[in-house]
Amino acid sequence: MWARSVLGIVSLALVFHDALAFKEQDFKTCSQSGFCRRGRALSQRAQEAKSAWQSPYSVDPSTVSVATDKAVVQAGVKSSLYPEVNFGLEVRIQEDGAVRVRMDEVGGLRKRYDEAASWALISEPSISKNVKWVAGKKDLRATYGPNEVVVSYAPLQVTLYKNGKEQVVINGKGLLHMEHFRKKAEPAAAVEATPAAEGQEQTVIEAPENPRAWFEGADEDALWEETFNSWTDSKPKGPESLSVDITFPHHPVVYGIPQHATRLALPSTAGENPTFTDPYRLYNADVFEYLASSPVSLYGSIPLMHAHSEDSTVAVFDLVASETWIDVSHSTDRSTETHWISESGILDVFILPGPTPDDVFAQYAKLTGTPPMPALFGLGYHQCRWNYVSSEDVRTVQKRFDEENIPMDVLWLDIEYSVDHEYFMWNEKMFPDPVEMINDVAATGRKMVVIVDPHLKRDNNYPAFTAAQELGILVKPKSGEGEYEGWCWPGSSSWVDFFNPNAWDWWKSLFKPYQLEGGKWSWTKSTEDVHIWNDMNEPSVFNGPEITMPKDNVHYDGWEHRDVHNINGMLYSNATWQALAVRSDPPKRPFVLTRSFFAGSQRFGAMWTGDNLGTWEHMEVGVKMVLSNSIAGLSFAGSDVGGFFGNPEPEMLVRWYQVGAFAPFFRAHAHIDTKRREPYLLPSPYKEMVTDSLRLRYTLLPVWYTAFRETSVTGKPILRPQYTVFPKDRKGWEMDDQYYIGGSGLLVKPVTQKDVREAEVYLGEDEVYYGYFTGETYRGAVKGRTVSVPAALDQIPLLVRGGSVVPTRERPRRASGLMKYDPFTLKVALSKDEGARGELYLDDGETFGHQRGEYVWREFTAVKSGKKGLRVSSRDLGSARPAEAVEGASPALTSYDRENKYARTLEERDVRVEKVVVVGVKAKPKSVKLEEGGKELEWEWTPGVGSKEKKGGRAGVLVIKDPGVKITQDWDIVIL
Amino acid sequence: MVPWLLLALPLGATAAAGRDKLLGVHPSALAKYTPSKSNTWKCLDGSKEISWNAVNDDYCDCPDGSDEPGTSACPDSRFWCKNEGHIGAYIHSSRVGDGLCETECCDGSDERPGTCPNRCKEIGEAYRAKRDAELKIQKTGSKIRSTYIAFAHKERKRLEDLAASLEKDIVAKEKEVEKLREIAERTESLTQAALDHKRQSPLYQSLLNHNKALKSLKREYKKHADREKQLGQILDSLRTGYNPNYQDMAVLEADGEESSTPEPESEKTEEAVDDGLWTADELDSELDDLIGTDYTSLLLEHEDHINTPTEDSLLFKITSYIPDAWLPQYEAWKDNFVDWLEKLGIVSEESSGSSTEATRAQQALTEANTELNHMRREKTESESDVLKIFNPEHFGAEGEWKKLDDTCINHEVGDYTYELCFFKEAKQKPNKGGSNFSLGRFQSWNKDARPGSPEYYSKQVYQHGTRCWNGPERSVVVLLTCGVENTIYSVQELEKCEYQFKGTSPALCLPPGKEPQNHEEL
Repeated sequence: MWARSVLGIVSLALVFHDALAFKEQDFKTCSQSGFCRRGRALSQRAQEAKSAWQSPYSVDPSTVSVATDKAVVQAGVKSSLYPEVNFGLEVRIQEDGAVRVRMDEVGGLRKRYDEAASWALISEPSISKNVKWVAGKKDLRATYGPNEVVVSYAPLQVTLYKNGKEQVVINGKGLLHMEHFRKKAEPAAAVEATPAAEGQEQTVIEAPENPRAWFEGADEDALWEETFNSWTDSKPKGPESLSVDITFPHHPVVYGIPQHATRLALPSTAGENPTFTDPYRLYNADVFEYLASSPVSLYGSIPLMHAHSEDSTVAVFDLVASETWIDVSHSTDRSTETHWISESGILDVFILPGPTPDDVFAQYAKLTGTPPMPALFGLGYHQCRWNYVSSEDVRTVQKRFDEENIPMDVLWLDIEYSVDHEYFMWNEKMFPDPVEMINDVAATGRKMVVIVDPHLKRDNNYPAFTAAQELGILVKPKSGEGEYEGWCWPGSSSWVDFFNPNAWDWWKSLFKPYQLEGGKWSWTKSTEDVHIWNDMNEPSVFNGPEITMPKDNVHYDGWEHRDVHNINGMLYSNATWQALAVRSDPPKRPFVLTRSFFAGSQRFGAMWTGDNLGTWEHMEVGVKMVLSNSIAGLSFAGSDVGGFFGNPEPEMLVRWYQVGAFAPFFRAHAHIDTKRREPYLLPSPYKEMVTDSLRLRYTLLPVWYTAFRETSVTGKPILRPQYTVFPKDRKGWEMDDQYYIGGSGLLVKPVTQKDVREAEVYLGEDEVYYGYFTGETYRGAVKGRTVSVPAALDQIPLLVRGGSVVPTRERPRRASGLMKYDPFTLKVALSKDEGARGELYLDDGETFGHQRGEYVWREFTAVKSGKKGLRVSSRDLGSARPAEAVEGASPALTSYDRENKYARTLEERDVRVEKVVVVGVKAKPKSVKLEEGGKELEWEWTPGVGSKEKKGGRAGVLVIKDPGVKITQDWDIVIL
Repeated sequence: MVPWLLLALPLGATAAAGRDKLLGVHPSALAKYTPSKSNTWKCLDGSKEISWNAVNDDYCDCPDGSDEPGTSACPDSRFWCKNEGHIGAYIHSSRVGDGLCETECCDGSDERPGTCPNRCKEIGEAYRAKRDAELKIQKTGSKIRSTYIAFAHKERKRLEDLAASLEKDIVAKEKEVEKLREIAERTESLTQAALDHKRQSPLYQSLLNHNKALKSLKREYKKHADREKQLGQILDSLRTGYNPNYQDMAVLEADGEESSTPEPESEKTEEAVDDGLWTADELDSELDDLIGTDYTSLLLEHEDHINTPTEDSLLFKITSYIPDAWLPQYEAWKDNFVDWLEKLGIVSEESSGSSTEATRAQQALTEANTELNHMRREKTESESDVLKIFNPEHFGAEGEWKKLDDTCINHEVGDYTYELCFFKEAKQKPNKGGSNFSLGRFQSWNKDARPGSPEYYSKQVYQHGTRCWNGPERSVVVLLTCGVENTIYSVQELEKCEYQFKGTSPALCLPPGKEPQNHEEL
């Protein structure tokens, strides 16, 4: 008893000691991970051997088989180290020019995990029927357009060329190594695989000289068992890791492989003076109070990397679900070398040939899909806290927002709504009337998001647990028998194995808000206004190695957790997404927020950057992380406004709301130990500043929604960092603190530093930009120019690119749904050539009607008319480009009905353009007329500089009052 | 394809044409909404002159938003809902035309025709019924409140009387103390030498040593007991209140072990105690008594016991030393003195010959002094209580809160019962057993309001409760409204260790008509 008490005190002291910091000791470094250590040692040996190094892998020319009807080639591969082991290589050229390189062990002792593609890809990619492989004596070649793919036989190397220039080289450094399955040596010869710390000499074993030592190292390192802290990984399958080097000889900068708290342009981890000493790690993990600059893995993984140069952007997508470490180095300032080390799985690498960032986005979207159109409310403001403690609390928070006229769409409930952390089960002492509470929130057009985590409390009275147990769909321990038990919020818990197909229908049934036939349990105490937050799906296991599941746990079909770890989180949000989609009839768009993700997660809702800290550093890196996710396909992303931990000062909170208002997913959240910080609690003038940011978000909802349409169809990100918009402009490559919102022409640079009152914004083109609020002109230059933009605490550095038409709704209401019939304002920002273009996409924001053609898609233009005149027009885009209007239509839409149900609603409700603001009008017009009918309109002109002038100052602004046109209608305003 | 005909229609105009120019205007401002002779109109702030047609045309022309009282076109302007049959009210312009039928605008005048039915009749009725019910509560409550006020007056009287009677007693007591002091001083001078001698006894010296040892042991014992208690509490709060986001298995394990240990209570009962030895409880209660033993008295009693009392007490034997001439006075004085001692219970008549007068006289003096101080304190308290009763910053200007001083009320939520003892302390008591937590002691009324105002008494603050693990000291804000009972109806922990109680009290029920006018615009 005493001893125990003392023990308690000791651990208590420890808690106090480092309660404020990332717990380094909980997570592995490369040197603590056997296969990473082996992979890096291999790289080290190669470097030391210099030109003497040659990959032992080669294609056996006699086995080459070229398909005649499509661009597929297969060949046997041998390693000179293990001549008795067979590998099979397959290289495909897809219809869009992407190259898929697959390699697996053939006829081995076991099967490598090869199902990652089935979860990540939307479908089996179509293979080109036009491109032909040609087999030569030394290599295989396929040429198409400017591209040529060469598979060299000895050593094995796959190279993509463009116009004769190397773009991507696989195994150019000879680091390819697929550890084949083998039998464990007899105990007598077994080497104790002590995990040696970095730089420490391995025990040299008295043994005959190993002929493979030049490549594999002299001794076996952690092949059969590995211990980290108190956990031992039994590794029943032995070594099966995969090392591959991918070089971009002419691309100096790389982006992607989220999620890491670091810059968008990835700092180096190897070579001379690397920024980080450890490789980037992809191993989904619940990292407590993560560092604001680090290559450690976080909650999600997307193994996609862009490589960028002036004339080409390419990407590689390494479709592997196991723990993966990636070294990045630059041997010259023109090239990038990367080394990918994965613990298990086949080699399945896609080379995306670009050549522009937009092409890469399209090529990647073709593989893993795009974000679907979100429910409109999902783009509003989300108010969260751990925890709103009762239904009374929820009602009070909503009431306070309304009293202060602060817009808000969604109220969230974190884990404490549930009794004993048994999700779905309301703590009825605090939430005695859940359905009435939800209905009260929904009465003002709002929604609720309620958390459902993947761990199920092992309680025989918990229907979700007992049903999962009966169905036998829980993850199994290493024995493969019974149920894995770990510790999470509810205490002893088990996890549903969503790799098991039986889990899916059951999971869908749980979310039905009505009583199921046959008396099976479903969430009758919910409504269609409840959407779901999936947290802890890495999965987070408090008493597991690295706060997650043991790798030797067993999933469906006998796969080990190690094989599927990084996909696990995506399957969970996928299952929830589908459950919500079929919850109602007709189906409505689900909203699901996930913390863990993988390539393809963009199809299943939003993600956020996890448990950030309320510090300026975290605010800043949050922007970079969201950009990194955006270019990796996961556009619907955001960071917790205010920071999860800590009590942000008012200035920080004001800036954080400005950051949040310009992130696709906009949620404020706070830890249970923090002070309440809902916007209405702030003192003046901070409260008003935050309210302004929130209202700005709501006035710009048409911009966000329109940007989502484009993303949903093309895969182009919502947030567009400088390099994606101006790929040739070297000065913009490293920029990750300013970005464009979709194709709207809005350029924002949120302030993420204390006391900053002026922002330096970079304009990467010879174009005029206007201050969004001030109309001040800022002129770029051919070679780019940095301009100073005022950024007082109540000012967001927000510019409109000349040549854009920005549609807004200037009547922010309590919730987004209440704005659906409000009129539009068009901001026409003239370019230096006195033109402008913009789009507006609208649909009902909640059903899938848009996939049946129920939408409105407009184009607005301003063009010079005559010598001094200007014509501002609205045209229908749905009719012009019906096939590319919306995503997910099945069958694809070939035409557009302007009288569709949704469009008719807007007409009936007289949804109109209430105002047109033309910015950059130098001279006072003589007349402003609506061409249709010839009516002279009311207008007002404020003198100022014109868009094509060289000087600065306030732009001349023409405000046209109520032109009397509906938003669904074609019209022309002629300004003379 | 959109027909040309449709395009030709000036849509804004059609929308505006049907709109009442005076929609949303407060009756008192109607006069301001009239066109000039040239059919223009000036924004209410005078900043701009616009066409009369531009008023309520769903387009914001005026910087102050005054041209759109009936639409949502101007941000942050107000719309007046007439609500005939109920009470008129302003709503924010962002609520106009949002498709919602809010209660505040029960006539539905803020929405497109046909959107919201006029519900003012029923809402008005419900409102009046509710108001009546509230009024009834207020009436009943105010009657109770007046009994509270009457109580305060009685209490003042009682306290004033108490102070007065105490004053008398104090005077008497002071005299008594004077006398006792005199006696004690004399006795002491007589006995000091003898006593000093007796105190040389090895027995006495040894007793003193034992006493010292006991005291030391007690100090050590207490130190350990406190520490153990503290540890228990830490582990207890660790179990219930550890930062759950901190996924430290050491914490979870320590927690698990602690909670799996047998309850200390059961240990105690099972603890085998050797015959005659004290149990822990007895130790706690009796050690102090033992240490507090008056060894001098004991020594004298011991002597009495050993030597069967043959000698008279010094006081009685003294006659042999006194000159005969003094004897009569001495006897008179002695009778008087012994009488006193007997009265005070220091010597019994039987043992009036005992040799312990000196110490007992001293004791009597001490006790009398204590009583005196106690009386003085009581008097001061009564006097200050009298001052507090009608102090707006304490029990209210009318003393209406005095009745609740130290009154305790409870509310059960989940696994806890929350107790509020007005003006004293708030507590959290686990229903399943375990230690109570103080949620704080009374600090103040609502500091943001003027003392004496109803708002001032609508909130009490209790602070400096038991500190939370990894958190602040517990505290409570009690929000009170008028009700016929003193009761808590809601307890919420809005943030970690910061509680909000909601309750009612008749003390807040002002007589109807006497409360300050509210701002309802009728």
